[in-house]
Amino acid sequence: DKNGVEVKKFKRFESYKRDNQFPPKVRDMGIVIDAKNSTIVLPVMGRPVPFHINTIKNASKSDEGEWSFLRINFLSPGQGVGRKDDQPFEDASAHFVRSLTFRSMDGDRYADIANQISNLKRESVKKEQEKKDMED
Amino acid sequence: MAAIESFDNIHLDLSREHGKCRFAESGLGWKPAGGGDTFTLDAGNIGGAQWSRAARGYEVKILQRSSGVIQLDGFQEEDYERLSKIFKSWYSTNLEYKEHSVRGWNWGKAEFGKAELSFNVQNRPAFEIPYSEISNTNLAGRNEIAVEFSLGDSAKANGQNGATPGKGRKAAAGRDQLVEMRFYIPGTTTRKEAEGGDA
Repeated sequence: DKNGVEVKKFKRFESYKRDNQFPPKVRDMGIVIDAKNSTIVLPVMGRPVPFHINTIKNASKSDEGEWSFLRINFLSPGQGVGRKDDQPFEDASAHFVRSLTFRSMDGDRYADIANQISNLKRESVKKEQEKKDMED
Repeated sequence: MAAIESFDNIHLDLSREHGKCRFAESGLGWKPAGGGDTFTLDAGNIGGAQWSRAARGYEVKILQRSSGVIQLDGFQEEDYERLSKIFKSWYSTNLEYKEHSVRGWNWGKAEFGKAELSFNVQNRPAFEIPYSEISNTNLAGRNEIAVEFSLGDSAKANGQNGATPGKGRKAAAGRDQLVEMRFYIPGTTTRKEAEGGDA
């Protein structure tokens, strides 16, 4: 999908401006997909932590016995697959959260969340591409 | 101020069950609503206090002088003033209003404090991990650190009960239990090459 010729530039993005913008569902201390704000809110030690869809690489579900696992991988430097790593970063010398893994006994829910994240990612990439095509 | 200030529907260290939190000049206590042992913290052990937005309303985090942190969540936004007074006049402690980053970025700086690891985005914490919740860490790859969390013995029933603070079960508190977190930390050689980096 990329022509590989031009250098990709990093574009700033933001999930929320203020902490009163979280969806009310974060109360349950579970994973919340906030499609409207292109954000996944993940529970970390009782705190809702937003991650913009642009930081997410992919999400996958796996099973082990009665537990289901949901692993969310984020974009970070040094993950270049194949020929070159052309993913742009605002600050490649920063520390990065690279992945978060959650578990639950509700496997169907994780399959659904992984699916929703993939869809949101696909839509966001598509929108970016459309915007870029308009600019060209 | 009354001799005792009381708050209902408060959770101790992300307990599933809520309880009553009471403050007095000598210290604070938390008792589960359904009955059970009362957790108490002596005023002399309060080394610092922070107020911030949490999943369930607002949170008071107490940094203990001995070690570790105590999390009390479920407060209302308007409780801040009352609590701020309590901490100031009874514990000579400033209830620091800690604003967290809600930008949604996954890059920043992992900083190691006395009792917890804080991941800061533009000088604001995005989240904190108390050391008491970490069961294991290892170098998972080049520049990659894996942090595993304690989830309790049989954490099938999500969430802990009773007054057992700081016992390493916060990761299992919600409906989604945090098992592992991985960080990318640039290597020292890269930093030397970059020059002038003081991290």
